[in-house]
Amino acid sequence: MNVIEVKQLTKDYGNKKGVFDVDLTVKKGEVFGFLGPNGAGKTTTIRHLMGFIHPDKGQCFINGMDCSKQQEIIQQKLGYLPGEIAFMEDMTGIKFIKFIAEMKGIKDFSRAQELIDMFSLDPNGKIKRMSKGMKQKIGIVCAFMNDSDVIILDEPTSGLDPLMQNKFLELVLAEKEKGKTIFMSSHIFDEIERTCDRTAIIKEGHIVAVENLKTLSQSKRKSYVITFATEDMAASFAKEGYEIKETHGNQITVTHKGNVKPLIHTLDKYEVTALDVKTQSLEELFMHYYGGEDHV
Amino acid sequence: MFSMPLLKREMKASNKLLIIFIYILTIYILSMVFLYDPQKSSIMDDMAKSMPGVMKAFGMVAGTGSLVGFIASYLYGFIILMFPIVFIIILANKLVAGYVDRGSMAYLLATPNKRVKLALTQALCLWVNIVMLTAYATIALIICSALLHPGLLNIGKAIMLNLILMVLHLAVSGICFFASCISNDTKRSFTIGAGVPIIFYLIQAVANMGGKLADLKYFTLYSLFSPNDIIAGKSQIAQVLVLAVVAVVFYALGIFIFSKKDVPV
Repeated sequence: MNVIEVKQLTKDYGNKKGVFDVDLTVKKGEVFGFLGPNGAGKTTTIRHLMGFIHPDKGQCFINGMDCSKQQEIIQQKLGYLPGEIAFMEDMTGIKFIKFIAEMKGIKDFSRAQELIDMFSLDPNGKIKRMSKGMKQKIGIVCAFMNDSDVIILDEPTSGLDPLMQNKFLELVLAEKEKGKTIFMSSHIFDEIERTCDRTAIIKEGHIVAVENLKTLSQSKRKSYVITFATEDMAASFAKEGYEIKETHGNQITVTHKGNVKPLIHTLDKYEVTALDVKTQSLEELFMHYYGGEDHV
Repeated sequence: MFSMPLLKREMKASNKLLIIFIYILTIYILSMVFLYDPQKSSIMDDMAKSMPGVMKAFGMVAGTGSLVGFIASYLYGFIILMFPIVFIIILANKLVAGYVDRGSMAYLLATPNKRVKLALTQALCLWVNIVMLTAYATIALIICSALLHPGLLNIGKAIMLNLILMVLHLAVSGICFFASCISNDTKRSFTIGAGVPIIFYLIQAVANMGGKLADLKYFTLYSLFSPNDIIAGKSQIAQVLVLAVVAVVFYALGIFIFSKKDVPV
């Protein structure tokens, strides 16, 4: 079953800005990544999903309901973290969280308290005086506290320190275990690779690829950068029949897929001074789409 | 219809602003009532006679001699007319455009409430504040008069004066709220929401000069509020009706546009 469906979504802001014919589907229980640099159309797509803005053409649905018409029904079971942090600055953190809980009709505050503890957030100060990371934590608490089925996150880890980023990714994985559907925009490859089942890459408003991260990791070709003691050794290794990508003096880069044991056996015959592994990652894939022709 | 948590929060947030304006009104009401002298013409009357042009522009003409007439002319000609409008401009701008501009509207829209309901709640907050400010001004006027000139104030007429002024304020707030609803930033909201009431006032000031210019009164809402006519007991039904229609139309239109428009948060 598709929880989120985006069909032919088009919103033209002129000057090549906006989104054009975006088609996406997110299945129930899936964590879906949405990758692209700033200005590619991530937030515009999310604003449509939230019903904040209305499409020029096309439609979006969440749980079968039209995002621009039944927004208030969709919101009953939705958690949202905006990309820009903006609260009611005159309130304290805890008052704001309680206010949003009331607005959402949440009676049970225990989940919110759990999240506050998880992120070791001290919500008692005035929001005005809080750091970016603290504010981001408040936003995260608000997005996850109503135990919603669908969670939409716009660049969720911005402003968080590495420790909290980790905690956040753990939270996403735990929510995924519970069967939640999560849609997450990001420009950080690592967090997408660690949490998402599938990811879409958006470029200048167009979806250029939707990748399944499992198949991506299975088909991963790894590169090994091997440094030999001498150039002669490197030269004789080059004749072993491995796929050589690059030779650089006594350093050879080999691409290899699957079991590495034969490679290790071969290397055993030589004196190897250093061995580095490079994984073909989402990042490379991304660069492949983005490093293209019109990037001058 | 309305969201209680939102109303509670907004009432609390507008508290400070309301108190500031209550202070300002208190000072003016107290000093104007103090300046009234039932025996002879007061300083204000002397001023009105010595420079009728300037005073007329401010809606101040030498009164009828009664306390309520004095108040109607010198207090309701400018101070109690315009200060609450400044309050309305600030608050109306904050209630919708302020949130959209800062981006915090995203949090309100991301709750299971219709946009119409959210906007109606913000409008209600504005109405409650206007009613409270009017009620305060009326009570302050009655108390100050009772203390300084016991028995001299025609309370019925004083209340009527305030009631009709409140309807005018509601109509003006409709324009300010409309401006707030259709704007995505406070700059635009202020340009319309503060610009129109100020232009109304300038037109009114010119129209007050009389002669040919008096026809300009058809281009300002403020001419529908005539303190001296109210004191004289003239029927104000037509004026109140026009003001009520303006209020309803602008609030309805503003809320409707807000419920349909793209909110870039």
